[in-house]
Amino acid sequence: MRDQIVEKKVTVSQKYKKRSTFISIWRQLRKNKGALIGLAMLVLIIAIALASPYIFDYDTQVIANNIKGRMQAPSADHWFGTDDMGRDIFARVCYGARYSLAVGVVAVLFALVFGVTWGAAAGYIGGPFEDITMRICDIFSSIPSVLMAIAVVSALGKSTFNLMIAVGITSTAPFVRVARAAVLTIRGEEYIESARAIGVPEWRIVATHIMPNSVSQIIVQATLRVGSAIISAAQLSFLGLGVPAPAPEWGSMLSAGRSYIRDYNYMTLYPGLAIMVTVLSLNLIGDGLRDALDPKLKR
Amino acid sequence: MHRYIIKRLLMLIPVLLCVAFIIFAIMDVAEGDPVYSVVSADATEEEIEAQREAMGLTGSLLERYFRYVKGMLQGDLGTSYVSKRDVMETYLTRLPNTLKLAAVTMAIALGISIPLGIVAAVNQNSIKDTVSMILALLGLSMPNFWLGLLLIIVFSLKLGWFPSGGYEDGVLSIILPAFTIGAGLAAFMTRSTRSSMLDVIRQDYLRMARAKGVSERKVIRKHALRNALIPIITVFGVQFSNVLGGSVLAETVFAWPGVGRLVVDAIDQRDIPTVTGALVMTTMLVTVVNLLIDIVYAYVDPRIKAQYMK
Repeated sequence: MRDQIVEKKVTVSQKYKKRSTFISIWRQLRKNKGALIGLAMLVLIIAIALASPYIFDYDTQVIANNIKGRMQAPSADHWFGTDDMGRDIFARVCYGARYSLAVGVVAVLFALVFGVTWGAAAGYIGGPFEDITMRICDIFSSIPSVLMAIAVVSALGKSTFNLMIAVGITSTAPFVRVARAAVLTIRGEEYIESARAIGVPEWRIVATHIMPNSVSQIIVQATLRVGSAIISAAQLSFLGLGVPAPAPEWGSMLSAGRSYIRDYNYMTLYPGLAIMVTVLSLNLIGDGLRDALDPKLKR
Repeated sequence: MHRYIIKRLLMLIPVLLCVAFIIFAIMDVAEGDPVYSVVSADATEEEIEAQREAMGLTGSLLERYFRYVKGMLQGDLGTSYVSKRDVMETYLTRLPNTLKLAAVTMAIALGISIPLGIVAAVNQNSIKDTVSMILALLGLSMPNFWLGLLLIIVFSLKLGWFPSGGYEDGVLSIILPAFTIGAGLAAFMTRSTRSSMLDVIRQDYLRMARAKGVSERKVIRKHALRNALIPIITVFGVQFSNVLGGSVLAETVFAWPGVGRLVVDAIDQRDIPTVTGALVMTTMLVTVVNLLIDIVYAYVDPRIKAQYMK
């Protein structure tokens, strides 16, 4: 009877705690106007990305050539004009959101899973493994990420998947650092000792007792990284090393527009604006989350 | 202090070897046998083997790597598959252009970010602060190569103030590419300057300075900025790598004959020795610059100096 009551109390308090973390993040975030604007922008962009296959026909409207209708200035029929192949730029920009978001999110997820596991292991195990890990992180930070990604794509070959890998690899080091730092601050706490004393396996201590404490930092890092991953992916596509043509990727659209910059500058205007708005929304949310989660910044 | 510098210099050796290995290993994965890009279509088996030997493609990855490092120590980064020229020589002819671009970029970034960051911090939560922070956020969110294209549209095609690319017009031709790379950097540094200043502004020694009657201008300039600059120097060092990375895009947009353009062209032509050589050298440059900044940092900040004296 007594045990039952104790157990009930524990579950109630844990449940309360779990809910309260997310609610308090949301409460903080709600106060931040910038973050709310960013959130609204991102929701809209995601909606466009999800809806575009139902609005535009990929084969006929997005990638099919229509030489007769090439280089039309923006008009009621073609809001953003048409490109050198006569394709509607508005349709391509909308469809492009799918590529940019997918590459950004998958690359960062790859970096997150790999980086956090590695960093947490390094922090927990310590010793030479930790030293070597940190040196490798230093090395990766000193190789300019664009050059690193270029090297990876040129080695693996041009494809959307390899682009994700390349951008993912260059985004890994920050996650390793965050996870390691989180483990280091908590490693010596008494409740970790207690968990170990009652025989909880090491991996479980890391997964259930240590990592939840760094979730907030990892979320902030991930949000901001998706933005820079989208820029990196667009850069590689711009250099001809990203998503292969004729897919409507924003970076490769800019690369095509560059040849016609003198007379048809609208070709370079809209894809770039799309990248900027997307990254801006992620930066606004990331900044808002950081302020919400970091008590030091509450000024 | 000298022991610290010597220790850091010695630590540089394994780091550089590792950097070279990572890049060497990545480039080794590249598909296709490079021999076939050099030999003629009707070459015999023996000729192909001889060519492979001549190109240093025999042996395991580690063997080739050690041969590469041995060559590297003597300043030999191999020969380009395409131009047949010495990679080190080509790299060194391109490097000054990239360094020039990087220097102007950093000057622009510092010139914008430090005043903007100070104004934002001193007038925290005012309209000036908000405008600076919005500008910084836009700068951070804008892909640099797109900014480059916009600058070309406005300043060279519409207004005709600057050339749209190339190298021939001296100072005029460096402004747009440098601004292209510098805008993002300036945005980042404005934020760093602001937060660094905000940390310092709350310190007791500033209150003390004000209490003894030092003018507000002098408080900010002499007491706050000097202390706030220390973390900014480090940020600046870390950003050097991003400047060189950004130069790859800017050099492509503006047809600037630097290292970035060299790498992009070499990748198009599958010229692996040039790509490997340029990447290894660039990374070494970044590593060495970061070390120098760490050392300068230790000299500038007495707190750090004291730490290493122990």
